[in-house]
Amino acid sequence: MTQIKIRKGHSICIAGVPQNDLLTNISTAEVGLCPIEYRYVKPKLFVKEGDQVEQGSPLFFNKENPEQKWGAPGSGIISKIQYGPRRVIEKIVIKLDKNEKGFSNKAIPLNAIVKLKRKEIKSVLSDSNLWHLIRQRPFNHVANPADEPRDIFISALHTAPLAPKLDLVLKGQKDAIQAGINILNGLTDGNVNIGISSNNRIEELTGLDNCKLHQISGPHPAGNVGIQIHHIAPLKPDDIVWTVNIQHVIILGKLFLTGEIDPSIIISIGGPGAKNPIHVKTRIGAKIGTLVNDQLGNGDYRIISGDVLTGRKVEKDDYLGFYDTIISILPIDFSRPFLGWIQPGSSKKSYSLSNSFLSFRKRLFNFTTKQNGSLRALVPINAWEDMLPMDIMPNPLYRSILANDVEEMEQLGILECDDEDFALCSFVCPSKIDVGAAISKGLDIMRTEG
Amino acid sequence: MKFLRNIYKKAHPHFAEGGKLSRFFPFFEAVDTLTFWTDEQTKSGPHIRDSLDLKRTMIIVLIAMIPATIFGIINIGYQQMLAMGISRGWLANMWVGLQSYLPIMVVGYATGFFWELLFPIIRKQEVDEGFFVTGWLIPLILPPTIPLWQVVVATSFGVVIGKMIFGGTGKNIFNPALVIRAFIFFAYPGSISGDAVWVKVADGFSGATALSVPAAQIGGNAVTLLNGFQQFDYSWLNMFIGWIPGSVGETSALAILIGAAILVYTKIGSWRIITGSIIGLVVTAFITNYFAGYSTNTMLTLPPHYHLVMGGFLFGTVFMATDPVSAAYTNRGRWIYGFMIGFLTVIIRSMNPAYPEGTMLAILLMNAFSPLIDYFVVRGNIKKRLARYAK
Repeated sequence: MTQIKIRKGHSICIAGVPQNDLLTNISTAEVGLCPIEYRYVKPKLFVKEGDQVEQGSPLFFNKENPEQKWGAPGSGIISKIQYGPRRVIEKIVIKLDKNEKGFSNKAIPLNAIVKLKRKEIKSVLSDSNLWHLIRQRPFNHVANPADEPRDIFISALHTAPLAPKLDLVLKGQKDAIQAGINILNGLTDGNVNIGISSNNRIEELTGLDNCKLHQISGPHPAGNVGIQIHHIAPLKPDDIVWTVNIQHVIILGKLFLTGEIDPSIIISIGGPGAKNPIHVKTRIGAKIGTLVNDQLGNGDYRIISGDVLTGRKVEKDDYLGFYDTIISILPIDFSRPFLGWIQPGSSKKSYSLSNSFLSFRKRLFNFTTKQNGSLRALVPINAWEDMLPMDIMPNPLYRSILANDVEEMEQLGILECDDEDFALCSFVCPSKIDVGAAISKGLDIMRTEG
Repeated sequence: MKFLRNIYKKAHPHFAEGGKLSRFFPFFEAVDTLTFWTDEQTKSGPHIRDSLDLKRTMIIVLIAMIPATIFGIINIGYQQMLAMGISRGWLANMWVGLQSYLPIMVVGYATGFFWELLFPIIRKQEVDEGFFVTGWLIPLILPPTIPLWQVVVATSFGVVIGKMIFGGTGKNIFNPALVIRAFIFFAYPGSISGDAVWVKVADGFSGATALSVPAAQIGGNAVTLLNGFQQFDYSWLNMFIGWIPGSVGETSALAILIGAAILVYTKIGSWRIITGSIIGLVVTAFITNYFAGYSTNTMLTLPPHYHLVMGGFLFGTVFMATDPVSAAYTNRGRWIYGFMIGFLTVIIRSMNPAYPEGTMLAILLMNAFSPLIDYFVVRGNIKKRLARYAK
């Protein structure tokens, strides 16, 4: 077991953290799938509105790589396929049946899973249309079934603001986790690396076989898998590694242990705009409106699928993102304090990592969607550097992306980066620059030209 | 404040697109967001943001300069009092000081904001906040006797050539305030160098600044010369506190160090640059001290702790070298950049008998070299990564 100490970064003290360990069950009558949330995918539909689908039966495939198919997250009737501008498929909505029918395979006991051949594992994953559980780095898109990854990385450490409590998420899932790890181990000649907390008290994460555990301590973004890869075994050119969310490891494990797809997922709903922050057990692709029904008060709110740093703004008739385990709710504040930029500030009114407000106590802060300033040219006061725990220089990298300099971007290590790792840089930037968006743009350029 | 908001609301349609004054929208926007903080919402990227913005960043630098400013204003009156051989209280001194300080400040800000507004209006951009700091710096880095028309000419040059032609705050190569000072220094050297300009009294007064005392002497020991100087008290302690003639803001090391503490604590000024330049100055001064015996240059005998409190070094390194835009932007680069400023300050002070103050030129020179420093630091990072790939 290796120890990794992350010193840079910051765990944001945001109000609205679910306090108790209760799990609320919320069932949903509709599930949805949003093809736009998968990067670099050009979807081509297998189905049309009104079709009957079973859980796991294919909905669409990626035109660029027909091996990648997306299965239905539940069985029922396709009630709606919504298109956006330029006929982009925004979402596919399934009205759920009472009796769920779906993919089934023979149940394989835990000790037999180890002996499965790579081809057998891949064929089950392809038949169940669940390849999108696995993503690859660089570029952070759905894994290509034909690839042989150097290593596989799993982050079992939540540092993102408002993330669900891991002990609650993993409770009683030890067999499924071990089964998932065995399957992933069968997909790579390298290691399955799992990042866990350095003071791990979760019984389900101890004594695991066929994997390497890494104890990680430090503030956010220490829980980001990209940061963990950088510290455990950094990417080199031409390397491909795969990453899987810890809850998806459980789904993978159960797929082989029981032969069926278990779409349940545990998420947290919280944030300064949430009336009653809770942990919720629901299913993949659940309707946002159903989940946040009891959470919103009067006034304007922004609902975010994902954490407040990297999530996607959604409305009530949208659906939980496939990789998201948090729904964050933020109030929208249009107040304009008189001479607000000179006011001394207080721990109630301002939250800054720069000590330039009188807010010495770090306490849970009621964030809103306010930008607290306007976009300006970059003034490098070293704020970004203190938020990025990687041996990567964010400032020169940003400049090389602006300059479209593919060679320099690559030399500065853009392929090791993902926009989520730069979210804190954007958070602290006094010029309010969206660094993550620049990184995404750089990755796009690398993918087409590199 | 509803009253003011209503006025803005009424004025808004005139400045908005299609309005009579729409060309002046950047002006309206600037006034509007200065009085009432912007309510802009996050659109892309993180949905929540730190409370610090560029307006706040600039105002913190300004707050950090307040101790040096107040001290400087009182000191104008104090030096005049000494020169006239009279005695009066600090309030009276402050009043006298304000009489020469305020006109320079007002003229500097007025000239600067004229250009700062003109360019965004023509370019249809938002007005940025950089001139808050530059404008505050102008009276602090000039002697109290500076003619106001020179302030107008120099500020115009500094803002337009030093900053706006590059695109505004964040894009300039040189610190605009230093460009202003350098302009006066080269265009009107009589107003900013020599012995006659540092104390605001009747014509004919002359008093050597601390740095020109050893610079004017051949042979001998600088410390003995300074301590034996009759006209002003050039003991180390008095120079540290700052009751000496000089540019308005630069005399008190103590007040500047308070400002440095504010900048470093708020994380807005780079402690690496400040520390680096002090190390550079101390190391270089030790070296010149070592070689002092081989030369008749008295400046070589000036010990490091005297260098530190004399002239504009501390003021320059704390408030001007730390300008994040014109300084090096990599951490290792900041160390080198700072060190070189300290090094060059001592070298210019010791090797240039005509002009014993080196900080301004040292910082400007390093401003020019900071992209090169960053280039090599970035190459170093790339090399390290390539070496790791090769393993």
